Amino acid sequence: MNNLPEDCIAKILSLTTPRDVCRSSAVSRCFRSAADTDHVWNHFLPSEFPEGFRAPEGLPTKKHLFFSLVHNPLLLHGSQLSFSLERSTGNKCYMMAARALNITWGHDQRYWQWISLPDARFKEVAALKMVWWLDITGKININLLSDDTLYAAYLVFKWNLDPYGFRQPVEASLVLAGTEHDDVQPSMVSLMQNPGSEQGQHAELRSDDWYEVELGQFFKRRGDMGEIEMSLKETKRPFEKKGLIVHGIEIRPVLP
Amino acid sequence: MSESDLAIMKREMMQSYIWLKTADGSIQRVEQEIAMFFPMICQEVVYKGVGTSKNHAISLPQQVNQAVFSLILDYCRFHKVPGRSNKERKSYDQKFIRMDSKMLRELASAADSLQLKPLVDLTCRTLARTIEGKPLEEIREILNLPDDLTEEEKLEPLKNTMDDPGIRLLNRLNAKKRKELKERERLKNVEVEEHAVERSVDDLISFINGGDPKVVKTSKGKKKNKKKKNKKIVSSNDKEGAEDFHDKESHDLHSKQQGVEETGSGIREVEVANLPSTEDDIFTPKSWSEDGYIDDEIDPVMKEMLDREIEDFARRLNSNWVRSRGQERRPVHFSMNGNGTIRRHIGYNLDVIM
Repeated sequence: MNNLPEDCIAKILSLTTPRDVCRSSAVSRCFRSAADTDHVWNHFLPSEFPEGFRAPEGLPTKKHLFFSLVHNPLLLHGSQLSFSLERSTGNKCYMMAARALNITWGHDQRYWQWISLPDARFKEVAALKMVWWLDITGKININLLSDDTLYAAYLVFKWNLDPYGFRQPVEASLVLAGTEHDDVQPSMVSLMQNPGSEQGQHAELRSDDWYEVELGQFFKRRGDMGEIEMSLKETKRPFEKKGLIVHGIEIRPVLP
Repeated sequence: MSESDLAIMKREMMQSYIWLKTADGSIQRVEQEIAMFFPMICQEVVYKGVGTSKNHAISLPQQVNQAVFSLILDYCRFHKVPGRSNKERKSYDQKFIRMDSKMLRELASAADSLQLKPLVDLTCRTLARTIEGKPLEEIREILNLPDDLTEEEKLEPLKNTMDDPGIRLLNRLNAKKRKELKERERLKNVEVEEHAVERSVDDLISFINGGDPKVVKTSKGKKKNKKKKNKKIVSSNDKEGAEDFHDKESHDLHSKQQGVEETGSGIREVEVANLPSTEDDIFTPKSWSEDGYIDDEIDPVMKEMLDREIEDFARRLNSNWVRSRGQERRPVHFSMNGNGTIRRHIGYNLDVIM
C-alpha cells in the first residue's frame, strides 16, 4: 500500500508552483489528473482580487482562469488599469494606462497628443510633440499587490519617427508611502538602448515590441499600506524633448 | 467538586484506553484522549461501541501499519500537550519529518486516511518542497509514481495554451518530436546514417572536415540546468555545402558565427519541415527519450524570444542566403535579462545567453 491518494498528490502540487505543476504533467497519469484539479489551481489564484475584477465568462476550470489571467490582462477601473498574473508564481501584475498617470502639460495639445495605437493595451497612449518640462508620475496603492513579493515598476514606451533630446539619462524614482520625497535619490536611467554603457538602467525591448525602463523596485510585505509613487522626469536640461510615446507604467514581480 | 474527586476523575480518564488494530494485525492500546483525536475512531467508539476491549479492537485503515501508527501516536502525544509554544511545536515538526520519502509517503497516506489534517499538511508540505524543481524521474521516485504515460501522451499539446507564444513554440517542438518519432520508426531499417545517435564532438568535426555534404547543426538548451539539449538537424545537399557547426563544447571554433548559427538552426527546422526532400534527417539526442518531456528545460519566455528570432531571421536569411554564404555575416546576438526582456546587441564574440 505504497501509493499516495490523489487528494494527497493534489495537496502536494498545490504547495509547489504553477511552473512545477505544468512541467510535471508528464510524470504519470494520476499526477497529470491531480495536476488539473481545481483544488490545485485555486491555490495559485490570488486569494484577493482587486476591486472591479470579474472573471471572464466561459472558462471551465480554475486552471483555465489562471492562464487566462496570465495571458490576457483584464481591464479594470474604467479601462485605465490592467490586471494579470505572473505565470510562474501567480503573483499579481498591473499596468496603469498613460491616461491614469499624471503627465505635466499632458492636457495641452501643443505639447502632448493622445492617440490610439492598434498595438496598445489601452484606448489611448500619450504622444509627446515637444516639451521642456518632462514629468510623468503614477501612483498605485500597494495593497493591490501580492504579499511577500519583490516588485519592479517600468515605464512602457516607444518612439515616433524622430525622437529628440533623450540621448542623456533622465531621472527615475520610486517612492514608498510614508517616505519623504527629499529622502529619495532618483536614479539615472537611459531611455535609449546603449550597449556598452552599463551605468544605471537602460531601456529594454519587450516581447510586445514596446520598450521599457525600470523606475525602481520595492518589496511588498503583508500588511503594507499606502501609495507608491513612480516617476520619470527630465526638468533640468534647457532643451526640448520630442517623440516619446508613453503606453503606461507596468508593475510586475521581479523574477529570480 | 473537590480536588480529590477531580484527581480521581483525571486518573480514570487517563486510564481509559481504546483498542485499535493496525493494518498488519498488531493490536494496540491507546489512551482515549489520543485516540479521540481521530474522527473515524470517535465515530466507531460512539456509534458502534467498539474498541473498548481487546477482542473488539477497531480496525484501522489499511494504510496504517504498526510502524507508521507509532509515529502518528508520537506526533499526537507531543502536540496534544497544551502548554507548548509555537516555536517548540515547529521545531518538533522539523525534526519529526526527517525521514526518507518512502516513510513520508506512508505517513501522508496514513494521516490522510485517519483524517488527521495537521499531519497531512506537514507531510505534504515536506514532499512538495522535496519535489520542487526536480526532474521528472526523481519526482516519480520520490512519490512512487509509475511512468505510465505513453510517449504520445507525454508530447500532447499542453492544455493550458491560451495565446501563449511560448507554449505555441513548445507545441510546435512537440509536434516536431512526434514527427521525428514517426520518422525514426519508418527509417529504422534503412542502412544510412539516419539513426538517432548522439555524436561526439570529434566525430562531427571529422565528419565535416571529410567534406561530407551532410551538415549537422545544434542549438543550445537552457543554461539554468546546464543540460545539453541538442537538436541536430541535417539539411539537404542542394541547399548548402559544409557549414560551420557548433555546440556548447566547440565555442572557440566558430564564435563569430555563433549568433547566426543559433538562430539559423531555428530557421533550418522550419525550412526542413517544409521541404519534401527525403534526405532531411533529424537526430534525436538521447536526453530527450530519457526525459520524454521537452518543456523541462526551456524557459517559456525564451521560447517566445526564439519565436520572434525565428521569424525575424527567416526574413533576413532568406534574402541573404545565397549571396552571403561564405562571407562574413553580421551576427545579431540576443541575450536575456532576468526580467525576461530581450536585449539586442550588434557585436562580436558575444555568447548567446539562453
